[in-house]
Amino acid sequence: MELFNSESKKIISDPINVNNPISLQVLGICSALAVTIRLDQAIIMTLAVIFVLCSSNVILSLIREYIPARVRIVIMLSVIASLVSVVDELLKAYLYDMSKQLSVFVGLIITNCIIMGRAEAFALKNSPSKAFLDGLGNGFGYGLIIIIVSFFRELFGAGTITLPDGGAGYVLWSIPESWYAAGYENIGLLVLSPGAFIILGLVIWAQREMAGIEEEA
Amino acid sequence: MYSNNYTLGFVFIVTLVLGTMLSFTKDSVKSLQDQNLKADVQKTILRSLNFEENLLESNESIEQTFKNYIDAKCVNVEGEIVECNIEEVDIEKNEETLPIYIRMNNEKIEGIALPIAGKGLWSTIFGYIALNPDTDSVLGIQFYKHGETPGLGGEVEKKWFTDNFVNHPIKESNGEITYVPKKIRNENGKIISISVIKGGVDYSKSNKSAIHQVDGISGATVTADGVSDFLLEDLLRYEKTLDKIRDYGTI
Repeated sequence: MELFNSESKKIISDPINVNNPISLQVLGICSALAVTIRLDQAIIMTLAVIFVLCSSNVILSLIREYIPARVRIVIMLSVIASLVSVVDELLKAYLYDMSKQLSVFVGLIITNCIIMGRAEAFALKNSPSKAFLDGLGNGFGYGLIIIIVSFFRELFGAGTITLPDGGAGYVLWSIPESWYAAGYENIGLLVLSPGAFIILGLVIWAQREMAGIEEEA
Repeated sequence: MYSNNYTLGFVFIVTLVLGTMLSFTKDSVKSLQDQNLKADVQKTILRSLNFEENLLESNESIEQTFKNYIDAKCVNVEGEIVECNIEEVDIEKNEETLPIYIRMNNEKIEGIALPIAGKGLWSTIFGYIALNPDTDSVLGIQFYKHGETPGLGGEVEKKWFTDNFVNHPIKESNGEITYVPKKIRNENGKIISISVIKGGVDYSKSNKSAIHQVDGISGATVTADGVSDFLLEDLLRYEKTLDKIRDYGTI
């Protein structure tokens, strides 16, 4: 199989756009709301999810013909849970501050429906290379949305844009003091969960509009 | 349909492989994680003692600052210095040897940090409270480990909450507001600690205890009550030590 024929491109691009796991299938919402307070958290979370999603898809696809159907859910869960634990341990060792900020949400990648969903719907039926591309596509699709949401939440909620670095985050830009002096105020609501719902709702709307998707009445 | 034996065997092998992978990962990063944990505790102590943030950027600079400025020792409830291995003292349960971290500058005490720990809602909360040399006003408070709900009880570690302990607003006669630290002793010098108040502190003139109170966290009353309880309990264990420092300037 050629790596970049039209079918593989579709496997990658569909979940980013017309079949996005968050905005179209509305999966993985829990972490999309929780880790989008700051941009750097969203970026690290995206990388963690892409790693888990690609690895679990490839591993499960490799052993798909040997998995007894009646224990497949258990096997899927064990593989995913182990990979998430590995990510958690690595974050604690190499990005300690970030792992403290992400706290339980790294562990909760296990329960992220996108990962189980892709394993069951795609990896168990397709070859490892396709499963890898599917993981990549869905990871990007997930990341795209939470990065957009976190960008707006951080910018308008806290007045900063933070990129990940080894420690507590590198502040790329923050709203200058003179704006605050002139009467500008951060929107505190955006830092809280309701703010995440509102932004996420707007992003879903915009994305569906662009992808030209209409809900059946 | 696979046979039962095949299924059992398959599950066994998968578990074995995954288990090996996990223990291998944990084993290879354990020492790094331990270093991070140690640096995190030291950072908490230094932060509570109001050290500049630029001294706390890397694990190395934290260790260096800690070595240069902090006099770490153990005392007992009578306020006497006792031998101990300070890193191995169990802060949560220990009653006899109490760790104390003193910020020194040319033989002069600039601050005293004490470990605090106790139950919140879901978990034990660990932190440090630092006092000024008068052993009354708060220099800083920091929490570094807890399992409280993020966004609710988890807010104890956030700056807005810990800042409450060092920002007591006082309205001057000219209408300007100045901030002083909260105090742990009453007028008679007795330790009464600081309470976290549900809702928020009443800053009207009639509330004489406002200097011993900080704003609570909405949605986290149990966590806040826990903090009030263990703060008092832990400070009382150090009562004689703190009296000694206040009266003689040393332990």
